[in-house]
Amino acid sequence: MAKTRKLALMALLTAIALTIFVIEAQIPALVPIPGVKLGLANIITLITMCLLGKKEAGAVLLVRVLMGAMFAGSPSTLLFSAVGGLFAYLTMCLTVGFFGENRLWIVSALAGIAHNAGQLLACVLVVKTPGVFAYAPILAASGVVTGVFTGFAAQYLLKALKKLKL
Amino acid sequence: MGAMKTKNLLWALLFAVIVLGGVLVYRSLGKGEGTVAVVSVDGEVLERIDLSKVRTPYDIPVSTPYGNNTVHVEPGAISVTEADCPDHVCIYQGRLTGSGIPIICMPHRLVIEIEGGDIDG
Repeated sequence: MAKTRKLALMALLTAIALTIFVIEAQIPALVPIPGVKLGLANIITLITMCLLGKKEAGAVLLVRVLMGAMFAGSPSTLLFSAVGGLFAYLTMCLTVGFFGENRLWIVSALAGIAHNAGQLLACVLVVKTPGVFAYAPILAASGVVTGVFTGFAAQYLLKALKKLKL
Repeated sequence: MGAMKTKNLLWALLFAVIVLGGVLVYRSLGKGEGTVAVVSVDGEVLERIDLSKVRTPYDIPVSTPYGNNTVHVEPGAISVTEADCPDHVCIYQGRLTGSGIPIICMPHRLVIEIEGGDIDG
């Protein structure tokens, strides 16, 4: 893929991810559990990884997390979202080759668990209250549910995008 | 292809176990004993209140470098009733009456815990 073409595509994907992130932040919490959210922007990270590569997905994720905190979050939530994002990204990098594009839902579920684990760990370190670990079981469950959902979404989107021959 | 299907099924099963187990464990928590509530920001204890000794309800305004919350103290329970964070999850968490699961306002780094009597940790 030509360099300019790739750059344009990455910018487009970042803009889409950021839009999804900002819109999702406006939706009121679905459950009264801190740290639980759908994580729809994860769909873009996944398809960027499959379409362009791991480095490119990392770049799109990094820019989205930083700009997302500017537009929809706050400096104090940036840390949680960055650590969660990093854990999820590393998990995707390690598992996407093994499972392949037809089993992104498994990659995504594992990444969802990793995201919530990273976020919880960052939270416990910041508030220095081990009691916060009480949320670990429900956050693992939520990571799986939202991860499977976004994983299937990414899988179907990827199939459609490949027909477009980007 | 058959082997792949079996493997997928095993993953689905594992995930189902995590979801069910997680929900069940979470629901079993939060029923611990204890009456002493601890309000802290950034790990620093602001207030320590014995809820069993509270007779009349009152509010504690909590100002953190990240934002403001109103903590409502009543006989036997504590809750967050106002917050200027974007998500308000701490308010939706409702009234805390026992140890096990703390109230957390992540954007403001506020934690309200009830110290457990016989609960480990």
